[in-house]
Amino acid sequence: MPNWYGVAASVALVAVAFFVVVRERLGLGREVLIASVRAAVQLVAVGGLLLLLFQHTGLPGALLWVTVMILLAGRVAGGRARGLPGATRVATIGIAVGAGATLGLLIVARVIDSSGRVVVPVGGMVVTGAMQGASLTLQRMRDEVASGRPAVEARLALGLDGHRAFDPHLRTSLRNALIPAIDGTKVVGLISLPGATVGLLLAGVSPLTAIRYQVVVMYMLLGGAAVAAVVAGRLGVRLLFDDAHRMRRVG
Amino acid sequence: MSENVPMQAVLSLEDVTVRRGDVTVLDGISAQFLAGRCTAVAGPSGAGKSTLLRLLDRLEEPSSGQVLLRGRPLPSYDVLEVRRRVGLVQQAPVLLGATVLADLRVGRPNLTPDEAHELLARAGLGDQALDRETNSLSGGEAQRLCLARALAVGPEVLLLDEPTSALDAVAAVSVERVVRALVADGLTAVLVSHDLRQASRMADDVVVLRDGRVEETGPAADSVYLAGAS
Repeated sequence: MPNWYGVAASVALVAVAFFVVVRERLGLGREVLIASVRAAVQLVAVGGLLLLLFQHTGLPGALLWVTVMILLAGRVAGGRARGLPGATRVATIGIAVGAGATLGLLIVARVIDSSGRVVVPVGGMVVTGAMQGASLTLQRMRDEVASGRPAVEARLALGLDGHRAFDPHLRTSLRNALIPAIDGTKVVGLISLPGATVGLLLAGVSPLTAIRYQVVVMYMLLGGAAVAAVVAGRLGVRLLFDDAHRMRRVG
Repeated sequence: MSENVPMQAVLSLEDVTVRRGDVTVLDGISAQFLAGRCTAVAGPSGAGKSTLLRLLDRLEEPSSGQVLLRGRPLPSYDVLEVRRRVGLVQQAPVLLGATVLADLRVGRPNLTPDEAHELLARAGLGDQALDRETNSLSGGEAQRLCLARALAVGPEVLLLDEPTSALDAVAAVSVERVVRALVADGLTAVLVSHDLRQASRMADDVVVLRDGRVEETGPAADSVYLAGAS
């Protein structure tokens, strides 16, 4: 495990990245420096906060932390679908339900320990997976609203309600959102060795134990993404139509 | 229709105004669409023709004034019922099913094959196989399938938004012929068209719009605006 001296030594890698982007005249030298300093400051601050959290607040503090992550993830996912009515609200609810259900199940079934030391990092992974599911769904829905308007209005004109008129487009959006999570699950271990496994292996845990964790991680990412995508999608459709089943314009 | 029997308006607009932001798209429009007749809504581009058509199907809402179906304001009906009673065929054919039968069943899932064949015959597509893939249809066939799909729901009025503008001349004539036959069978049609010759050929009545106002309304045969087409 690297000590602080080792961390300081890794700054040499930043120097390499800086040298490469300056030499290639990519105009990204400043960005590299800012990103590197920002990552260090953010991670040290988070490390300090986690230390306090793990030592003093227990499960309630960990859940509070996860709630903050959900709110931030909702803003990010909503921002990606800007213009869609209520995008941030819908994304936040989707992520909260997806992450909450997945994390809750893992804790209640005692698959993971309910200590803050476990709940916060696992929660972070679940929230990230749920955010991707909600974000990709809502982004695609926004595109479908623009490109699929004639087809949606043709269905509305046949007397279908908004939900049924948009249903084929919602299914396309959900498929689009879940394919990355499904593909990731398919190739895990063969093509990619995810961060959780790498971390555990680096920490000296036996490969079989690391893999056991990874299986749980992959399944929870898939579950969290699927629930978040479906909840965000269904709620999003509800806000897309007014009381007279007319599809709103997206900004 | 006997001259002594007053013709009933299926749809009517009463002092309807539509504003979008600072722009007034329709300005105090009043018009009637009579039962069993084809009424052309004509006028130059940007006159508000398509907006008027969308009002009749509640795809748009007036800023003021009201739209009546059989004398009752549209909002007093269930909106889904309005849309089943007032069918819409869009400018470019939009196909919704992978096969002809699947497309016809979008608005009426329990449609039987016999009923489907009957609808296709009404739309001039009597020789089409129900399992034909819709992506193999020509433009004219696709538009007539859209007509058949609209008829499947059993509307009493058919709104046609420039239904032949995306078609070649031969396909356009086939669609016109089908619409005329449907009107002859008693269906009420409202046709938006910028093509004055087509409006003259197809319409019994005309509503001419210019700059969001009604410039002329009455029998197509007496229309000064349509006379410019000949």
